[in-house]
Amino acid sequence: MKALRADLRLAWELTRGSDRGEWWRVALTATGAALATGFALAAVALASLRGSYRVSVAAGLLDEPGTRSGVIVGLLLLLVPVLGFLGQCARVGAVHRDRRLAGLRLAGATPWQVRRIAALETGLACLLGSAVATVCTVLLLLRQWDRPTALAWVGITLVAVAVPVLGAASGALALRRVVASPLGWVRRVGPRGGRGPGLLFLAGVLLVGVLALLTVGTTSPAASNRPNGGPPLQLMGVVLAVGAGAVWLSGATAKATGRILAVRARSAATLIAAERLRDDPWSAARTHAAVLLVTVVGTGFLGIRQVMSDVVRTQRFSAPASYYTTGLDLTGAAIAIAFAITLSGLAVGTAESLATRRRGLAAQAAAGVPRTVLGRALLLETALPLAPAVLLSGLGGTAIGTWYALLAGRPVPWAITLVPVAVYAACLLAAATSLPLLRRSLRPGELRYA
Amino acid sequence: MLGMSTRHILLGLLATGPSHGYDLKRRHDERFPQARPLAYGQVYTTLQRLVRDGLAEIEGTGSDGGPERTMYRATDEGTRELSRWAGEIAAPAPFVANELFAKVVVAILSGGDPAAYLSAQRAAHMERMRELTALKAAKGADLATVLSADYALNHLDADLRWMSTTAARLTTLTAEVDAA
Amino acid sequence: MSRPVPLLSASGLTKAHGRTPALRGASVDLHAGEILAVTGASGSGKSTLLHCLAGIVRPDEGSVTYDGRRLADLPEKRLSELRRTEFGVVFQFGQLIPELTALDNVALPLLLAGTDRARSRTLAGEWLERFGVRGQQDLRPGEMSGGQAQRTALARALVTGPRVVFADEPTGALDSLSGEQVMTALVHTARESGTAVLLITHDAQVAAYADREVQLRDGAVAPLGVTA
Repeated sequence: MKALRADLRLAWELTRGSDRGEWWRVALTATGAALATGFALAAVALASLRGSYRVSVAAGLLDEPGTRSGVIVGLLLLLVPVLGFLGQCARVGAVHRDRRLAGLRLAGATPWQVRRIAALETGLACLLGSAVATVCTVLLLLRQWDRPTALAWVGITLVAVAVPVLGAASGALALRRVVASPLGWVRRVGPRGGRGPGLLFLAGVLLVGVLALLTVGTTSPAASNRPNGGPPLQLMGVVLAVGAGAVWLSGATAKATGRILAVRARSAATLIAAERLRDDPWSAARTHAAVLLVTVVGTGFLGIRQVMSDVVRTQRFSAPASYYTTGLDLTGAAIAIAFAITLSGLAVGTAESLATRRRGLAAQAAAGVPRTVLGRALLLETALPLAPAVLLSGLGGTAIGTWYALLAGRPVPWAITLVPVAVYAACLLAAATSLPLLRRSLRPGELRYA
Repeated sequence: MLGMSTRHILLGLLATGPSHGYDLKRRHDERFPQARPLAYGQVYTTLQRLVRDGLAEIEGTGSDGGPERTMYRATDEGTRELSRWAGEIAAPAPFVANELFAKVVVAILSGGDPAAYLSAQRAAHMERMRELTALKAAKGADLATVLSADYALNHLDADLRWMSTTAARLTTLTAEVDAA
Repeated sequence: MSRPVPLLSASGLTKAHGRTPALRGASVDLHAGEILAVTGASGSGKSTLLHCLAGIVRPDEGSVTYDGRRLADLPEKRLSELRRTEFGVVFQFGQLIPELTALDNVALPLLLAGTDRARSRTLAGEWLERFGVRGQQDLRPGEMSGGQAQRTALARALVTGPRVVFADEPTGALDSLSGEQVMTALVHTARESGTAVLLITHDAQVAAYADREVQLRDGAVAPLGVTA
């Protein structure tokens, strides 16, 4: 207990003494944790319901177990971009943190001490986010639901505790390299180690998948009028396969784009961007994979929505039209949220890549490389690999929309082909948010620190 | 050079084969550039001492139509003595005293300006270092030149570093010398 | 004998980093083709002086004149062009782009100046050859030894045929033999091409490669005991 207190104090001192980047990491990690907790709590609260209820929100979508499990799966799926975002946040200040913890190791700290300190650093940030989200959710829940069941309370407690614990565990796990060698950070040859967070992300996605399966498995059987087990299982498999495929695809595109362009580049900016992609194609793969998925889902969804609202408007159904439109709107909102989180991850990732390289960038500027060239290289780094990826996923999404329209015998909603274009533009804007940071990084003051 | 022994250097030059006095002097100056050149008289007396001590012997005399020349050659004992000397460790700084430090102390004792002296000495050292560096950095400089210049440069650099730390601590030194 | 007008001249430079003064009225002249060493203890303002002279930093007071132009009058864009075309810089490390090969790093300034890629790479290869690192042309900076990386950096600084090279502790991270190779390469090339060099160092053996030495003390030029 005493050791823990000492570690806690050290973790606090280290965080307090560190620069702005560290506070950004804490703030962003807390935000991510809050989002994760919020989504998970909502899912848990809904999952604790059995049978039919009257819920005043969401136009009756939450009343029936069948549609409710759909909403729960949606909420759980939202955890995927949140996890991606958290992974991106872990990279903020990662180099400095590695250095600091390696310094601790050199000063004689044991691997376990360093692990504990790292775990505390991340865990505390997650605890902050999870606490805020839990309090808000519980207050909201009490207004909606007179007497939540014991099951709901257990679930809420579990989520509130699990988020910081998982955060702490992942913080400790991501440090393998530093912990193994006190000099882990001194010289890195070849691709930088992004594997730790990548694996954690995959593990997180798997966890979400299993949870979603469980939810569907336990809530759906109450709705005996629909087949169960098979389709959700297939859905999960498809989502996982598509996710893994997207990560691989975006990494591979980045690598190929880099290789092709590095040889043919005519301008300095393209050359720099291409070589950076070739050097470490996987660094942005997670975020780009999320962009890919959002593009496919977004494009496909808008197509389906177009066709369905057309159907709802023109035909009569037993339930009021709002029942369907609310469902569509909720899905749309979920996709929009996922997209927003993905864009934030992209912006954070770009900013982080800048912050890590700022001394080198300052040296480039000192050597007379114009700021515009460096800025253009930064944007190209995002733009180049995303172009083919977004094009491909846009095609996929359009295919889904077209297939659905043909199925329903309605006109094909060609307007959805604009979605990938909009996504691409939004991604470039997100990357461009780092340009002011670039300006700051190029200050000669950066040259003064090794 | 530290504890330089002309006897052993001449023995070393004889190790490659018999040679006469003038040839030895020429080869010495070639082999050890930047060292103080050997006087012919010094070569001659040293060779005579080597013969007296049984480390070298006269091979013969010849004239080749020019002045008479005596050829010398190392004896077995000379070869043994040479290898003993070459492997022997040179005493590292046996006496801790040097001219620079003496001048600083004398300047303090006599109410002179040790700081000005150090500054002037530093400039002179730098000037010499620039000369030696130009010599070794010249295109086509042979390795012997580079290495002997390096030896001097490292020693001058050590002096310089000693001078800067001393200059920075002159006040304390002055107080100490004056108190004694 | 009256000396010619200096190529680069700074007078009365002051500069503070926050509340810490780095320069307090430093003045220094660099003549065309001259190799000038700036020495001094850590924190004496050496690097800041270099930054001011190279137009990387604008001094708080005082002025820097290059080839008859006051650097303070030039906009940032023009300064950056000047640094790219007429100046070359070599730092202790960090000036090479880690993701680019040695060849592309050296070709970069030419590419920026509008030379086409193939021509840039050919010229860059010739410069790597001159510095004895042609064999490493496809390696990235992280894969080279410190000495090879610094020689690549020298090639990059000199590839545009600059009139002034600014070198800030170019051998600071090297062992003495690698340092010697780097310095010899720098001095030979500068002498051949008539490039002036401003060499920042705390090492007297490195300073001895220069024609002349200026000592900084507390942000100003210290008077030398004997004027050469």
